[in-house]
Amino acid sequence: MNVLQTDPKTADQPVAPRSASPSPVPADRTVHFVAHDDGICLLVFDRPGSSANIFDLRTLDELAQELEFIERQTALKGVVFVSAKPSVFIAGADLNAMRKVTSDNDARILIERGQAVMNRIAGLSITTVAAVHGAAVGGGYELCLACDYRLASPDHSTKIGLPETKIGLLPGWGGSTRLPRLIGLPKALDIILGGKTVPAKLALKLGMVDEIAPAEYLVTAATRKIQQGKPLRPGHWLVNNPLAAMVIARHARKQVMQKTRGHYPAMTKALEVVARGISRSVVDSLSLERDGIIQLMQTDVCRNLINIFFLQERARKRTVPGAGSTTGPKPVTHTAVIGAGVMGAGIAQWISARQLPVVLRDINTAQVAKGMATIAKLYRDGVKHHTFTAHEARAGMDRVYPAPAEVPLHHADIVIEAAVENLELKKKIFQRLDELVSPGTVLATNTSALPISEMAAGTRHPERVVGLHFFNPVHRMQLVEVITARQTSPEVLQRALRFTQSIGKLPVVVKDSPGFLVNRILMPYLIEAGNLFEAGAKIEDLDAVMLDFGMPMGPLRLLDEVGLDVSLHVAATLAAHFGDRMKVPDCLRKMTGAGLLGRKGGGGFYLHEKSKEPRPNPQVAAYVQSGKASSISREELQERMVFLMINEAARCLEEQIVAEPADVDFAMIMGTGFAPFRGGPLRHADTVGAARLAGAMSLLVASGTAHFEPCKLLAGMAAAGGKFYPAT
Amino acid sequence: MNTARLVIVDGVRTPFCKAGTDLAALGADELGRIAVSALLTRTGLDPALIDEVIFGCVAQPADASNVARVIALRAGIPQSVPAVTVHRNCASGFEALTQAYEKMLAGRGSIFVVGGTESMSNIPLLFPPSAAKKFGRLARAKGLLQRAQAFAAFRPADFKPRIGLLLGLTDPVCNLNMGETAEVLAREFDISRAVQDVFALQSHMRAAAAREKLAEEICPVFQAGKEVVTQDNGIREHQTFDALGGLKPQFDRKNGSVTAGNASQITDGAVALLVMSEARALELGLTPLGALTGYAYAGCDPVRMGLGPVFAIARAEAQTRLTLADADIIEVNEAFAAQVLAVLNCAASVEFARTQLHRDGPLGEISAAKLNVNGGSIALGHPVGATGARLVLTALKELKRRNARRALVSLCVGGGQGAALWLERM
Repeated sequence: MNVLQTDPKTADQPVAPRSASPSPVPADRTVHFVAHDDGICLLVFDRPGSSANIFDLRTLDELAQELEFIERQTALKGVVFVSAKPSVFIAGADLNAMRKVTSDNDARILIERGQAVMNRIAGLSITTVAAVHGAAVGGGYELCLACDYRLASPDHSTKIGLPETKIGLLPGWGGSTRLPRLIGLPKALDIILGGKTVPAKLALKLGMVDEIAPAEYLVTAATRKIQQGKPLRPGHWLVNNPLAAMVIARHARKQVMQKTRGHYPAMTKALEVVARGISRSVVDSLSLERDGIIQLMQTDVCRNLINIFFLQERARKRTVPGAGSTTGPKPVTHTAVIGAGVMGAGIAQWISARQLPVVLRDINTAQVAKGMATIAKLYRDGVKHHTFTAHEARAGMDRVYPAPAEVPLHHADIVIEAAVENLELKKKIFQRLDELVSPGTVLATNTSALPISEMAAGTRHPERVVGLHFFNPVHRMQLVEVITARQTSPEVLQRALRFTQSIGKLPVVVKDSPGFLVNRILMPYLIEAGNLFEAGAKIEDLDAVMLDFGMPMGPLRLLDEVGLDVSLHVAATLAAHFGDRMKVPDCLRKMTGAGLLGRKGGGGFYLHEKSKEPRPNPQVAAYVQSGKASSISREELQERMVFLMINEAARCLEEQIVAEPADVDFAMIMGTGFAPFRGGPLRHADTVGAARLAGAMSLLVASGTAHFEPCKLLAGMAAAGGKFYPAT
Repeated sequence: MNTARLVIVDGVRTPFCKAGTDLAALGADELGRIAVSALLTRTGLDPALIDEVIFGCVAQPADASNVARVIALRAGIPQSVPAVTVHRNCASGFEALTQAYEKMLAGRGSIFVVGGTESMSNIPLLFPPSAAKKFGRLARAKGLLQRAQAFAAFRPADFKPRIGLLLGLTDPVCNLNMGETAEVLAREFDISRAVQDVFALQSHMRAAAAREKLAEEICPVFQAGKEVVTQDNGIREHQTFDALGGLKPQFDRKNGSVTAGNASQITDGAVALLVMSEARALELGLTPLGALTGYAYAGCDPVRMGLGPVFAIARAEAQTRLTLADADIIEVNEAFAAQVLAVLNCAASVEFARTQLHRDGPLGEISAAKLNVNGGSIALGHPVGATGARLVLTALKELKRRNARRALVSLCVGGGQGAALWLERM
């Protein structure tokens, strides 16, 4: 089954000319039978009114009908499965339908119907070939697995894999059974547990496809395969026998537990199903799949993960109401970044990697050289990790235009300022940019905390100033806070939003307010970690409880990674606005003063030695002020930090910094890695219950920690039994 | 006759670095890309407005044929803009500019990016033809036996490379190396070693004094894992006459006078110029550095190719009616000190004018005060395909600094040619 993956990079690929263009067909069907030469037929997937093919119950039924017809055609020698879509083969099961599954029985029907169709394909006496051009993921690839042969086009849009575990499920239409039999248990586990989708070339190497052929020649290549007849495939007895499976599974289980801390049941379930299924008959293995996925389908974890998928889709398509969507200005083709520091260089590299030219300006050659070196390293690492080929990396570097002196910027469509965080300097930069650019240019700032409305105020056209807050490291963090200053016009916001989407980032629209959204919610949490540390809680405990909660990194370790000086700067800016609630702990100031800056300085809360796991820094014991927190239970430590995040998140909603709870949750998951399976801080608040939250926080206030005062929204919800999200 | 003028709006170059040093890792395409990208960034010109890219390059890189096209695409100039590489040996950089001029006059475009690029570090070593033949046989060999036989046919001599750089600097018609042609001039015009060395020393001193001025025309070169390169590295601040005197003659070990010290350096570098019709510049609101008002190429004896500028200047005078006296500054490319000195000699010679140029009076005196005022290729180096464009850029920037009007820039060309351009400030 599965995942409707739309990749922004491939969404606008040009339509590949197809040799197998289907003849005129009834408009309301997805699956079409097309007779081809030499006793071969095509089953063409072409979902009406959509750019993608997905599997819903209706499509499964249509496919079953066509298969029934094919079974009766004695003259047929083979069938080729193709898609008529430009960049999607079959993108898996309909996730919307899956969200609506409310009973085990519904789930059972969906799974069994799918398995039956796949079995039917596998049982055909004639030769079957899946000719893949575009995404074949989840159920789409499970169909391929049921075929005798799998061919793939080398196109960029061709992505093959089983991403089910990423949304809290497992491959349940035969993927967990057939993939290990095809490529062997270890490789299959890597794909299934990793939820991986791979390009054609890698799929060929792994044995997931048999051959690569250009999209135009896929059917011809399939015909050749059919003429060869059904293949004899070697069994993988060396790794697929019960003993080996046991050893491999034990090893894999250890890795999964290490990675997920038990928060992602789909991983353990999938592992169990695959490892046990390999020693059983196909029929029994399929039953294991079915029972496993039914258990998973109705969990909160699965619902939350599927929800994130939809939130990502929403971010990719989001527009500004009333800002003229169809007749908007031309897309951004020329860009400039002011400031070649870590953020500026990171942004410029990302833009250049997304095919756009970017001018990288800084005050002198030395600064630009630093930025160019950062960019070169990002590309070099990208080549090392197979994100780019060496050739793509060179082309990317070619798109960066270094500017160590002032240059004309009149044909830049957008200029992103990423200079040092100094309001006066930024104001000056914006005044100058205002003179250098054309009237239509969007002026954006990547500030993480400074008031954008003030930067805008100094320009002649304040309505074109907007915030684009990228997160560090730019190439890894998908979220961008698109910040509207008081003066920002809807058209400029729209343009900024489109630009963000066009470079493959996920925007959240946020009002200009100190710390914007993500940093503001994160800060009380980091500050509390600092407070608790000062009060005698152990560094290891503070970080461990949050890892247990599902954060990707503990708060003190995060402070080290960000840099204590940078954190201090942001914290101080926020403290200036929000008062005691964000009072900067002494330790942060003292440690920064003592040169303990975190990872970049080699030491902060942890010692960061080369090629060693960071370990708590014994030096910082000096900054512990009391033993008050040393007796606090791990549960309470976790709650204290989490509750403050929830409370601040609720305040942001209260102050209408963002439009709805989903914005908060989406931003926190994408921007900080907030435990995705919990669905974000506000979703988590609903799970815990406002009354419990407010109750626990009030107790803390009573015990003398005033900053736990629940905000009005939360208190009100506690009183009225309200929730952030309507019950589904 | 069409009298439209071609104006040079702006220009920029990479630092010129001795072959095998700071820029050695970059191919001619990369050097050219860096210059063109910097030019586009500096001028802010929309690259879609460009009608054609014309680049000079002498040793065309084997892995980037039609290097002008590679440069254009890599610099982000739209695919629809055509590009051509031109080759007139040392005058290739001039050729790019004058072709743009001719295309403009012919109505084939009004905005051009022109220039020159050369990576003398990357001129390949070649296998001799005998080896190439044997490699071909080896590639076609089938089976172990045939392959073994093909292998066995190789002889040690097959692996003695032919040095591409030397081949390129040797005239196949007169069978003389460029340095040897300079020796001919030194001999025939009685130019002593000492005079040559003094001239070379002056080139270094002038270039060293002009570092800040030269910086105006240079864009930094950023390379991953290396220090940024911002300066020409051939200029020797502490060059002395004695040190020059200690060098051995390079081309005639016993009786010669041309040394590595009084010849141009083997160098990597690229130059890019944005040029357009005067009308287009006006339309776009640009203030050009100056205009190309006339030019001439002339042929001469390949053995005395160094005298080429004299013939070209004479021909340009016939066309433009401009004489040496009209030039506020003059560039005669320093292929060799002996060669420049021979040019000065011939320009002032009544005899030479009568017998060689077939005119009554001499061209005139070229005073040291006007000649190569910021040093020349002896100090800065001579990336052959790029030098012509550099002379234009350097001269125009100097005219502006001096608030002067006209510059005459000229080159000698291997194979027996000369080239001369008249530039004028707007």
